Amino acid sequence: MVDLKNLIEITKKIISREDVKYIVGYKKGTYGFQIMPAFAYTPEDAEEFIYSPLCSKNLAVYTILEEKLPLKRGEEEDKRKIGVVVKGCDSRAVVQIIQEKGLKREDLVLIGIPCRGVIEPKKIEKMFPNQTDLIEVIENDNSEYIINIGGKTHKVPKNELLSDVCKSCEFPNPPLYDVLLGEEVEITETEEFSKINELDEKPTEDKWEYWKEHFERCIRCYACREACPLCYCKECMADTLNPQWIRRSVNLSENTAWNIMRAYHLAGRCISCGECERVCPVNIPLMELNKKIERDVKKMFDYTSGLDEEEKPLFGMFKPDDPEDFIL
Amino acid sequence: MENLVLSKEKLPEMLTEIASKYALFGPIEENGFTSFKHINNSQEINLDYLLTRISPKSLIFQQTETLFTFNKGKEVKVNTPKTDEAKRVIFGIRPCDARGYSILDPVFEGKKEGDYKDPFYTKKRNRSTLIGLSCNKPDLNCFCTSFDDSPASAKNVDILFTDIGEKYFVDIVTEKGKELIENLSKLFSKASEENREVREKVEQDAINAITRHMNTEGVVKKLDKMFNHDLWQKTAMRCVGCGICTFLCPTCHCFDMQDEAILKEGARIRVWDSCMYPEYTMHASGHNPRPARMNRVRNRIYHKFSYFPKNDKIFACTGCGRCIDYCPVNIDIIDIIAKVKEAKT
Repeated sequence: MVDLKNLIEITKKIISREDVKYIVGYKKGTYGFQIMPAFAYTPEDAEEFIYSPLCSKNLAVYTILEEKLPLKRGEEEDKRKIGVVVKGCDSRAVVQIIQEKGLKREDLVLIGIPCRGVIEPKKIEKMFPNQTDLIEVIENDNSEYIINIGGKTHKVPKNELLSDVCKSCEFPNPPLYDVLLGEEVEITETEEFSKINELDEKPTEDKWEYWKEHFERCIRCYACREACPLCYCKECMADTLNPQWIRRSVNLSENTAWNIMRAYHLAGRCISCGECERVCPVNIPLMELNKKIERDVKKMFDYTSGLDEEEKPLFGMFKPDDPEDFIL
Repeated sequence: MENLVLSKEKLPEMLTEIASKYALFGPIEENGFTSFKHINNSQEINLDYLLTRISPKSLIFQQTETLFTFNKGKEVKVNTPKTDEAKRVIFGIRPCDARGYSILDPVFEGKKEGDYKDPFYTKKRNRSTLIGLSCNKPDLNCFCTSFDDSPASAKNVDILFTDIGEKYFVDIVTEKGKELIENLSKLFSKASEENREVREKVEQDAINAITRHMNTEGVVKKLDKMFNHDLWQKTAMRCVGCGICTFLCPTCHCFDMQDEAILKEGARIRVWDSCMYPEYTMHASGHNPRPARMNRVRNRIYHKFSYFPKNDKIFACTGCGRCIDYCPVNIDIIDIIAKVKEAKT
């Protein structure tokens, strides 16, 4: 359990340092179960910080969203560090970006949170629809969520609201952090790919029918890309015009190209935070694509992304005994 | 305005009749959400829905529109694509979404004689008859009443259906609506005073059920003084720059045009774009007048609450709440306007 006082105290201490620009954390949203990313520039701002099972958003994305605009004459670049509150998967995203040299370790201060899993916003909003007042959710020791709505207390088994990705998360503790809030949580889950294996065994035609239905309704809003901490190319292959890899027409063919190309660009890099699927406005099960590749990478190269910042990324290394039977 | 009632049992018959003469569009639930789709069988329609995930602007202002096709080579031929000329009926559109069309009209149809009329939009718009459906139970983020509108507003539709229990109360609003109903008059009966009272109660209950409100009084003038306010930077810090708010919005209408060709054939297409993307304003020179997310977040608010009302005397927001519902980082347009009102300038 994260001690809120401790979180605020530590945030205050870090933001008081001269070498820290701001810290990204969570604060209460504007209604219902909403939580919003918060930016603390001063110790007073840190007072607003909270942490609860509703804090699903992967804040590692804000390390790469930092905009480096052209400097005005006489202006000097602000080289201070950015602080981020990170759960297990968020920290893995940071590790992965550092491996890829997208970020430098010394530019970051990481406040680690041992994560007991997060609530899927869509699930809780479905269970308790139309909540205008802000609602707090806490987790008890019996794997239940305690939800207080208008004076009435609801106890909901954790499994009913837990985000799907959390159900088989092997890395709830941040592998990289400067301060860890509380004790590491025990690892009870093991990664399992039963759903992927099931889909994999179906004939190609069935698989295509399945994905066709999903890709057909993609509106190409690129929320999957923007919410993903590992989609940080300066120019996305979906935006290049010369050559134009993917056309702008929104149709099955181009949508398929977009979704499959994005999945491949995350091969050996995706850290399974589930943000893409969480934000998709048309319910495309994007994690099924990512999980399939994650499983194959594990099987073929015995590799798991985002665990050690000193390690090389999958595509940056070679072993003589790497399997090559997929090369035609 | 003529008032009729239609018993709910007769709805499938009415829809079947309409579908035999018109291309009928209505809300269908698939994959956990509702969208407007072409209806072949009236049983497919889901009227328990409140808002379709993607606004029905997509029926008139299509996400991808082929403007013309061409061939490459020595003799270039340009062909205008054959347009679908069938008359359409859009059944079950919510009053706020219908208002969205009225907001888009000056953009695509012009405001006065001689203004350019976009043929693709205009054709689809003119061929469509709108049968609205009042909202009995508004959603958490509904705030149409903040724009002098109502969950049972008949202002922007041709016919309005209101669920009054066993029956629908039917407001025939326009000539177009009258024409549509004419051949179906056997299905309807005259509305009684009692029916009208129930309709009014339903409307009032729905208005009372709206919990969130946006106070837009004086916002246009206030925004004139807030271009450099730090509210924009603060809000933009958490924006991730996706296009959900603009793509789901019933009034956002920015588009991109592209030539897409394979070997000898090609087409010029028009496709939805979003001012939330840096590429949207990127100049060929490499200069970008809206280089940061701050500029883009600010532009979205200014377009809806400053530029649009200045040009067209109407806010480019219908109060449907989609951008609030689906924003991954809780950027809440009601909250932003409240902050604009509070801000010191």
